[in-house]
Amino acid sequence: MHRPKLVSSRAQGRGLPHNFIKVHFKDAKGNLIRTVEANEGDDLLGIAHEYDIDLEGACEGSVACSTCHVILDPESYDKVPEPEDDENDMLDMAFGLTDTSRLGCQVRLTKDLDGLTATLPAATRNMFVDGAPPQPQPPMCR
Amino acid sequence: HPSRPAPPPLERISHVTLVGQGNVSLDVARMLLTPPSVLAKYDVPKPVLEVLERSNVQHVSILGRRGPFQAAFTTKELREMMNLPGASMVPLDPAYLTAPEGSLKLTRQQSRTLQLLQKGSNNKPGTTKKTWSLDFFRSPTGLTTPNNAGDKARLSLGHTILDPSNRAVPTGETSTLETDLVITSLGHHAEPSAPWYDPSLNHLRTLSGRVVDAGGRIVRNVYASGWAATGARGVLVSTMMDAYAVADTILRDHFPEEDVHTTPISESDAGAGGGQDTPAAEAIEVLPKHVEADTFPPEVEAWLREGRVTDFEDWKAVDAEEVRCGEAMGKERERMVWEEAREFLASARPRNIDITA
Repeated sequence: MHRPKLVSSRAQGRGLPHNFIKVHFKDAKGNLIRTVEANEGDDLLGIAHEYDIDLEGACEGSVACSTCHVILDPESYDKVPEPEDDENDMLDMAFGLTDTSRLGCQVRLTKDLDGLTATLPAATRNMFVDGAPPQPQPPMCR
Repeated sequence: HPSRPAPPPLERISHVTLVGQGNVSLDVARMLLTPPSVLAKYDVPKPVLEVLERSNVQHVSILGRRGPFQAAFTTKELREMMNLPGASMVPLDPAYLTAPEGSLKLTRQQSRTLQLLQKGSNNKPGTTKKTWSLDFFRSPTGLTTPNNAGDKARLSLGHTILDPSNRAVPTGETSTLETDLVITSLGHHAEPSAPWYDPSLNHLRTLSGRVVDAGGRIVRNVYASGWAATGARGVLVSTMMDAYAVADTILRDHFPEEDVHTTPISESDAGAGGGQDTPAAEAIEVLPKHVEADTFPPEVEAWLREGRVTDFEDWKAVDAEEVRCGEAMGKERERMVWEEAREFLASARPRNIDITA
């Protein structure tokens, strides 16, 4: 008789396989990094860290930075509850902000988000021009 | 603060003027206006709380040379001011609450700042003893100190307007503000006596993260990123991205044959010289050519023995002690100053140990 495959170690204590929610992580160019499975209630930052995806979370999910900024597919974005003021304050400072941007630490999975795509924003680096002095305000004329 | 300034006599002060409208300025205002009973459960040290408990500060004026769309504060910090318990914002001139016409579209942050300013503070004006104000288009031109103790100082202000390139220029109008304490919060200067300080920048000069000396020569193997390299600009995410960029420079310098990156480069970087760069520039050497990877430099070994350098175990011991003392006082932690920490470590972790153990 054919025995069914053992559930993977990641699934232990996490509930039954058919409850898993699929999340696709993509890079800025739209290439698939990895498709992973997670549970209802897990947040995208925690999931990314569990699966070694390069999503920084400098303030450890305390809504004090924008380093876990992700871009959701429009369908999923509409299903997630609106951001609160404090998340929006942090999104103000995110680079490459889009209409479907969220902080990964604030997006919690529900069953209807199965198949959600989270795209990591492009990191541009020429924000500070090397060696050039900042645009100073000249001293006030008396 | 390590320089141990005497605390200001806040019991004799009712009006404070802050010059500058960045996040640090708002931090100062918030500390002066938040009830000490609210602060007490966090990590504000007891001697500081005692000064704040004696404070008679009623109003904080926060001056800026330009307007709400040029202010350096960010929405989160402005929102915390609007939500202050027991304090309210003096209403702004409605002229400041409309978007400038004709000019560029407002950024998302500017739009949300505008909404916050239009809404005003949670506590309505006139309902609180303590108040604060954002005084836009004001530039200090002089300060007259009082003749008699108890009298106010007089801060002369030039009124400004924006020229077509958004710089503040005087209108010719002036006014006077009576105040007890003036605090400037106008950005960050590095220590001028530190190596490679550039007076025109007020911090180090760098080229793709490599430190550059006064003669324009690259200091080999010395790098800087974040605020040390750029001045106090940007928040965590921009500093993080700068760190990645400098890490890439370090990798390129030391593995010139390989295509190594910490993060993928976007198209715009690849063209703009963010990828291949420079140095045919002259370089100087300041670091030893050879280091032993397994031992500390002799200076560090000596300082460790003397207790002038703390290692991670020391840090954990101080951390645990601060939390323990805080718990006894119903707060997050009670911080030690450097001398207290050294005394504590001298008894808790004596130095008669083998450093390499």
